[in-house]
Amino acid sequence: MADKKKLTVAEMLAAARAADSGGSAEKPAADAPTPGASAAAEGAPAAPAKPASSPAAGEPVKPATAPGGGRLSVAEMLAAARKAPAAAAPVAAKAAPAPKPKPAAAAKPAEPAAPAEPRDTASILGAARKGEKAGPMSKAEAAAKAPAPAPPKPTIVVPPMPVKPDYAKPKVAAAAKAIDDTDRRDFVGIMLAVGFWMVGIIGTLWTLLTVKFMFPNVLREPPSKFKVGFPDAFPGGQVQEKFKAQFGIWVVNAEYNGQQQIVALKSVCTHLGCTPNWLEAEQKFKCPCHGSGFYKDGINFEGPAPRPLERYAIRLADDGQIEVDKSRTFQEEMGAWTDPASFIPV
Amino acid sequence: MTHGLTEAQFLNTVASFLGPYYIVLALMNGIAALYLWRSGTAKTWFSIRAGEQTFPFTSAIVWLLLAFVFIVMSPLAWSGHGAWMPSMPEWLREFVNRSTGPVVYSVGTVVLLSILFVFRRFFVNPTVAWVIWNLMLLFLGLSMTDRDFYEIVAKPDNVPIVMLVLLLAYFTWLATYRAVINDDRIARGEAPLEALDNEKILVWPDLVYTELICMIALTAFLIFWAIALPAPLEEPASSVKTPNPSKAPWYFLGLQEMLVYFDPWMAGVVLPSLIVVGLMAIPYIDFNKAGNGYYTINQRKFAYIIFQFGFLVMWITLIVLGTLLRGPNWNFFGPYEYWDAHKVEALDNVNLSQIFWERWLDRPMPTAPSGSPFAVQAGYILLRESLGIILTLGYFIALPPLMALTVFRKYYQRMGLIRFMLMANLMLFMASLPIKMVLRWVFNLKYIIAIPEWFLNF
Repeated sequence: MADKKKLTVAEMLAAARAADSGGSAEKPAADAPTPGASAAAEGAPAAPAKPASSPAAGEPVKPATAPGGGRLSVAEMLAAARKAPAAAAPVAAKAAPAPKPKPAAAAKPAEPAAPAEPRDTASILGAARKGEKAGPMSKAEAAAKAPAPAPPKPTIVVPPMPVKPDYAKPKVAAAAKAIDDTDRRDFVGIMLAVGFWMVGIIGTLWTLLTVKFMFPNVLREPPSKFKVGFPDAFPGGQVQEKFKAQFGIWVVNAEYNGQQQIVALKSVCTHLGCTPNWLEAEQKFKCPCHGSGFYKDGINFEGPAPRPLERYAIRLADDGQIEVDKSRTFQEEMGAWTDPASFIPV
Repeated sequence: MTHGLTEAQFLNTVASFLGPYYIVLALMNGIAALYLWRSGTAKTWFSIRAGEQTFPFTSAIVWLLLAFVFIVMSPLAWSGHGAWMPSMPEWLREFVNRSTGPVVYSVGTVVLLSILFVFRRFFVNPTVAWVIWNLMLLFLGLSMTDRDFYEIVAKPDNVPIVMLVLLLAYFTWLATYRAVINDDRIARGEAPLEALDNEKILVWPDLVYTELICMIALTAFLIFWAIALPAPLEEPASSVKTPNPSKAPWYFLGLQEMLVYFDPWMAGVVLPSLIVVGLMAIPYIDFNKAGNGYYTINQRKFAYIIFQFGFLVMWITLIVLGTLLRGPNWNFFGPYEYWDAHKVEALDNVNLSQIFWERWLDRPMPTAPSGSPFAVQAGYILLRESLGIILTLGYFIALPPLMALTVFRKYYQRMGLIRFMLMANLMLFMASLPIKMVLRWVFNLKYIIAIPEWFLNF
């Protein structure tokens, strides 16, 4: 291969195919080279080319040839090359499935070509790239087998675009509508349209129903506003626990910032949301999960809780009872405990 | 579990477990003696001369004698009689109870594991390991007669943890044993043990049969377990009542312990994600190609120590701590201590900003005047927490370059900037847990950065 022009992979494979089959490789694209041309080009059948990748020792490698001429497809070549190392084992050789006969190759008259040996793509390409023979053969043979240097590509002269005839020109609206109508008769198109409409409708319905689900007709929840009794039921310094189970609050009459207040503390730990217990003996709220502790007024002092317990809104109702509103919370770290809605001064 | 039982009834319950338990221990030692004798690997420790005869006192005989001791202990334990049952002396139990606490436990485990690691050449000796194994099982048996210990250990929830401790001890020993042998072989220039055993076997039948047998055995074991130890069902859940103590599933108890020292956002989300991501990053961070396919410690000392610290110290021992030693209100209780829900532990945890402003500078913490706009409030908050923010940023930003320049110079050169920064930051995150634990114990420090206004606490 005198010229160093780079070959495309397709050309390389074609060349290698031709070399393997012993057929003429003049025209890589030609599907079925005539026997005459082959004989002329070949002179003598090529010696069996040793695959570059085959084991070094002279193991008998079962030649995998396509019937009738040995033109192998890339897939066949790769399959055969993979089998080649295992061919030494008789079982493997037996088990090796015969390559699928190619109809084109089968149709073509049998060639007196030497059986080609399978090679892997890398070795084929490598050999082709190096421009050397793929196996033991003389230089003359190699030269004979080498694909003809690609003819210089003719410069393509683009003829001037012909003027668009009338019928090819964009149609007016009416004509377009007619074509549209014919398109719509397309079965697949109709089905697709129906499918998308269905998906759209069902999706919309689902979304609407989900939104509806968020607003149930009947809400079985304790009311967010409830009365807990008259202020004199909560003597100073006492933590009333009896509302914890039902409402999740403690009603505490304790001193905060020098002022005696009745407050409603939310019974949720500010660390990770467990329910603390009021320990009367230690005068503190203690969380069982990670040991956070809170003073009677709700201020955190031990364990990992980062902020005090939260307060619910509390007020004196018109009938003199204490009313707790769970829809509003007051956080000490936000400075909300000074809000008069968060306590009842005693 | 033993509520409402008199002392005698309780001892009877324990006796029905301890009798067979000691027989199993005796069998275990007897089989070991038999194996050593039959395989001819028993070592002669010393010989007794009786006139002309010499009697070799081999390890097989020692284990056989130990088996006899256990055989004698079995009926004593089975008697269910307090005076006869072998049990831990009262003074020892008192001593253990009084001397243990979170600090002693955590620091003690680290020290113990370090000793085991440094003197691993001694501890992997099969004789030493067998003695320790017997001592562990004997400790368990002797402690069972204590009611509070039994309550914790025999709770169906906690049985896996007891098995975990024993299994982990065994497997860690096995790996270290092989690693020490391999290290010796490599030092002599020989191939590791695993390289010798390169005989190929077939998936079918060798592997599949083994798997099948394991599968059947494991299923049988699980069925037996499910029948023998019924699942501890509790009362129906209630959103306003949390059981005391309230414990996560055993495999999450390390995380729960971590939550005692961190904000839930950190210990519940950031650090667990970093554990997972960090474990996934190990193959990309690791540049040491040695130790592939065989046990070794010397060839990957750094990786070994870091991993074992993270796994054994910060995962396993915290699980054991959370399961066996944390009681009501998440207080620490010694192994023989009654779980008293009213145990008082005086704690007053403070944030770093409080210490800085109120204790060191002796002035009130900067607070924004009420009603000020958000920017002013944010400024005051950042000023309040400035020391903690500076410390934390310094820890994560300034320390890695310092490490690269000093201790980890070689690692930095081998790893390049990005991989080193990743490793350094993962290590620093891992180290942040023990650092915070120590700070909590020593200074009662709650958070280094405490901005509850923005749910940002570190």
